[in-house]
Amino acid sequence: MPLIKVNDLYKIYQMGTTEVRALDGVSLEIEQNEYLSIMGPSGSGKSTLMNLLGCLDTPTSGDFFMDGINVATMSDDELAHIRNKKIGFVFQTFNLLPKSTSLRNVELPLIYNGMIKAQDRKGLATKAMERVGLGDRVNHKPNELSGGQRQRVAVARALVNDPAIILADEPTGNLDSKTGEEIMALFDDLHQQGNTIILVTHEEDIAAHAHRVIRLLDGRIAADQATQ
Amino acid sequence: MKSFFWENLRIALGELWAHKTRTILTGTGIVIGIIAVSLMSTLINGVDGLFENSMKFLGRDVLYVEKWPWFGGGEDWWTLRNRPRIDLDMADDIKARSEYALVVATERGRSADLSYQDLSAENIFVHGVTANYPEVSTVDVEFGRFFTGSEDRTGAQVILLGSEVAKTLFPLKDPIDKTIFAGPHRFRVIGVMAEMGKFMGAFSQDTQVLIPSETYNKVFHGPWGMRRITVKVPDDRVEDAKEELRGVIRVMRGLKPGEKDNFAVNQQNAFRKTYQGIKLAIGGAGLVITALSLLVGGIGIANIMFVSVKERTREIGVRKALGATRRQIQGQFLIEAMVITAAGGLVGLIISTAASLAISKFIFPATMSFGVAFMAILLSAVVGLLAGLAPARKGSRLDPIDALRYE
Repeated sequence: MPLIKVNDLYKIYQMGTTEVRALDGVSLEIEQNEYLSIMGPSGSGKSTLMNLLGCLDTPTSGDFFMDGINVATMSDDELAHIRNKKIGFVFQTFNLLPKSTSLRNVELPLIYNGMIKAQDRKGLATKAMERVGLGDRVNHKPNELSGGQRQRVAVARALVNDPAIILADEPTGNLDSKTGEEIMALFDDLHQQGNTIILVTHEEDIAAHAHRVIRLLDGRIAADQATQ
Repeated sequence: MKSFFWENLRIALGELWAHKTRTILTGTGIVIGIIAVSLMSTLINGVDGLFENSMKFLGRDVLYVEKWPWFGGGEDWWTLRNRPRIDLDMADDIKARSEYALVVATERGRSADLSYQDLSAENIFVHGVTANYPEVSTVDVEFGRFFTGSEDRTGAQVILLGSEVAKTLFPLKDPIDKTIFAGPHRFRVIGVMAEMGKFMGAFSQDTQVLIPSETYNKVFHGPWGMRRITVKVPDDRVEDAKEELRGVIRVMRGLKPGEKDNFAVNQQNAFRKTYQGIKLAIGGAGLVITALSLLVGGIGIANIMFVSVKERTREIGVRKALGATRRQIQGQFLIEAMVITAAGGLVGLIISTAASLAISKFIFPATMSFGVAFMAILLSAVVGLLAGLAPARKGSRLDPIDALRYE
């Protein structure tokens, strides 16, 4: 069974009298431990697809199975649950809470998990920080860290709940190329360790890290190919 | 769910600490409201105590036959003024004719200047009463004794001093058996009454003196001054007794049916009713002040919570992306609002506790009850809940995609 199975997905926005088809019949399967990138120019539906894959949004029509569960018709709170358990987000702008230490930031998904006892959270969060090489930065606040370190904290936060997929939206967009490479090396590592990674990017050399590239155009899949 | 409460409390405290000035300003409205409500009820409690205390010398089961009604009475002043004065000789007849009258005492009174050696007390109310007066009123003799029936019959020149009078005339000495003057008349001090306190400065026995009624009649001439017949009746039949007493006096005065009473039968109830009215007015004003300041405080909090939700749109987006449900986001802001009001309530309570301690030390005895404190905290939490509801709902309903994109 594929990890993600998307069937004939439509997302249609009504802008006044005109109808905007952000996604126009997308079908796709993603297997466990795939390393995938989604590319496309702006307006191609890239962000819409990412929001749907990240369970931040629901489609106008179509099916979306994650781990065999159809999430297309779920309520807001059910989606929140799925996001918490199955998806690790990494954003272009890091989106860390500025007033909290990096450990607190990494702890957040564990807090909303609801099944993890308070006393176990610190240990799990520290372990995630160690996995991204920041074991010695747990008590720093985001403004005391470099951009690369902040993104590492964000990756640790994405990892901490042991999600089914890591969804990274332009993860190197706010970093210089050297730091960007370091972050990409981290993703390569995580993939090696068995994680499923989806990159959303418009940079070819970032997309090249993935083993499969899906190109979107006008809300449809224009190409779906393996990279070398 | 429990762990979210602590988590949300932690977030709220951190957030409020980060915006200290804002928090203090926002909470002030609640502080004022809580001070208003708790001080007001403390004051009413205190005034209640004072009132009951000063009502002690007006027994519940005692009727006072007088020319003037204590409160209004529906007659114009001139009619009341022209009523015949109360003939104290009626007392014996009343005792004989009334079935309910247990004790019938008479009282007269006027003011006079008292002196002892070179000390003087001016404008002191001299109260001439029959020997059975202690049976119709509370006379608390602290030193010495009350006068006897034979002292009354013979018009002995003996006097009991109120505590203030005793302090004025005898700051250092024991007053018992000393001779004082009321104008040209000599009196031997036979007793001093215990301090009673006063009710808003009025009805205090502390600034009075008591002498036997026959002595009064002998010494003070002329029709002026207070005169009343005081009748003690069974305390479960006060209303019946009042009607009977009216009838008896009407007959004695030869009033025809249809003619109006030309006397008044007063009772403590009249004070009680008037006092209840005053208390209600104070309480009502307090309630309005409290309600207004809590309303304004609540609006302030709602306003600042809307600002807080707006400012933290992105944070809400992040939290939602990481799996926070609507309830969790809503709880976060609700708890934040409630922490402000609870803290405001607590501060208000501390201030009003201090204020009520000061009041009871310097003005009159007043203590804040535990119930009032509990109610104040509850009230402020409710205000927080109501004020936080709309902003928290708004925050919880944000679309995570839009919220994440918010700059």
